[in-house]
Amino acid sequence: MAVYLKKRVAKDFRRQVKSWMLTLAMLGLAAIFLIPAWGVLFTSLRTDADIAFNGVWAPSGNVTVDNYLSLIFDVRVHSYMRNSFLVTIPATIISVAMGTLAGYVIAKLRVRGGNLLLLVIVSGLFIPPQILLIPLFQLFNFMGLYNTLWPMIIVHSAYGLSLCTLVMRNFFDKVPDELLEAALMDGASHPRILWSVALPLSRPALGALATLQFTFIWNDFLYPLIFTRSEEAQTIMVGILSLGGQYSTAFGAQAALSVIASLPTLLVFFIFQKQFIKGLTAGAVKG
Amino acid sequence: MTVKSGRWAALFLAVPLGLYFTFVVGPSLYSFYYGFTDWNFLTGEANFTGLDNFRRLFADADFWSAFQNTIIWTALGLVISVFGGFWLAMALSRLLILERFVKSLFFLPMALSLVVVGFIWTWIYRLDFGFANIVLRMLGYEDLATAWLADRNWALFAVIFAWSWQQVALSMIVFLAGLTSVPKELMEAATIDGARFRHQLNQVIIPSLRPATGVVISLALINSLKSFDIVWVMTGGGPFQQSETLAVLIYRQAFRSYEFGYSSTIAVALFVITLVIIGGSILANRRGAE
Repeated sequence: MAVYLKKRVAKDFRRQVKSWMLTLAMLGLAAIFLIPAWGVLFTSLRTDADIAFNGVWAPSGNVTVDNYLSLIFDVRVHSYMRNSFLVTIPATIISVAMGTLAGYVIAKLRVRGGNLLLLVIVSGLFIPPQILLIPLFQLFNFMGLYNTLWPMIIVHSAYGLSLCTLVMRNFFDKVPDELLEAALMDGASHPRILWSVALPLSRPALGALATLQFTFIWNDFLYPLIFTRSEEAQTIMVGILSLGGQYSTAFGAQAALSVIASLPTLLVFFIFQKQFIKGLTAGAVKG
Repeated sequence: MTVKSGRWAALFLAVPLGLYFTFVVGPSLYSFYYGFTDWNFLTGEANFTGLDNFRRLFADADFWSAFQNTIIWTALGLVISVFGGFWLAMALSRLLILERFVKSLFFLPMALSLVVVGFIWTWIYRLDFGFANIVLRMLGYEDLATAWLADRNWALFAVIFAWSWQQVALSMIVFLAGLTSVPKELMEAATIDGARFRHQLNQVIIPSLRPATGVVISLALINSLKSFDIVWVMTGGGPFQQSETLAVLIYRQAFRSYEFGYSSTIAVALFVITLVIIGGSILANRRGAE
């Protein structure tokens, strides 16, 4: 008995050591993998004189938040960030909502031609955005929406339909029909079933999808580049480039701007990380 | 399900399909038409010119160079994301301690925009204080140090490598999600000896990752075929168009040269190339599954 216990303890111990070694090895790999990110972070915390004298990578004891302070009080940065939020939040909500509606119809309402409809919508994933630019540029000019936030909101809502419908359909497909039929028997209408039966069940998929859409839309550079011209309508990703030109030798300020521009998506990603993986597992990969 | 569901279906679909056809399908079809015109945005002139643009396209050295770069990008991007993402996911899926924290470190590039990724890597590649050259100098390979993004031979690969940094993170997430369907004991047992590991890799892990692999391949293809942001930020397609992709060429022709007609022709070409490559990969995947 004692020998057996001893053996077990030794085995558990070996296992523990092995687990720790793997974790440490992966932490080391992560440190290397993230070198580019370290670079930006360190650069953003140093003065330009310090960088010019020591280079970006040489450690120096001086840490400063001046780069951040000067950007935080820059009204142009406010305007770019505000525009990004004003585009990203509505476009995320609209695209996910529309994907939910279309996905529900295709998965649960058994309409004729449902599969064809799915194919038409999903094939949008394979349309390179470049083929849309000139006709949309013309259309938005015609509608008087050039250099406003509307083109970005509209295009992201429409172009996002493909992914959102695909994910939501795959998810609704796995919701048992009996649940919905029971609700129908009770006299509930389809909007009501969608709202109070199907949606609460699909929270992981919704969380994952919203995270993904938020990230795509916030990080988009192409549409604001084409559909806007001036600060009042430009988002932060284009703003980085405009301000970057002006700070072209001010590496500290450029780095700080990159960090500030990435904070919203980083936050959303880390808050929803668990849901994101869960939703991805349920919605896309096993489907 | 009931008589009424048809009406609800129409109501539910009206707005999504309306938006989709107006702002995605419609514009794509218009581009096909514009591809056959000599529309110039500055002069405002537009005439139907038949196949002229396509004749010009096939004789255009810029197009062929961008085509070649895009294909190189797609091939390299595919290999790096499938293999890099797979092995990273395999290692991460075995973690028992600090699992979520370590994983989230590898997720980080996913949250960044390609504009920011481009900026970050531009600093890595700089001649004077770029990290790549500092490492080379430290290892004693002074003469290999170069301004990577200004170097004709290296610019394209430098940009692809930077892009892969994010793409690997994306594939890894998809593979990780796929690996959750493999029981953890199996994964653990597989570490014990090499022969057994290879057996399980072939018999259990790779087959159960088939759907995930399909997603990874599609994502890598789609993303590499439309790559624009990161090129535009890092090199603008230079030096001498050495790192120009089709997506960049389309933008340059449209919004720098204002040749809306010819730019549409290239966009149509990109669309066809995308269709062929993605369609081919889907067919190959289906055949492999049988």
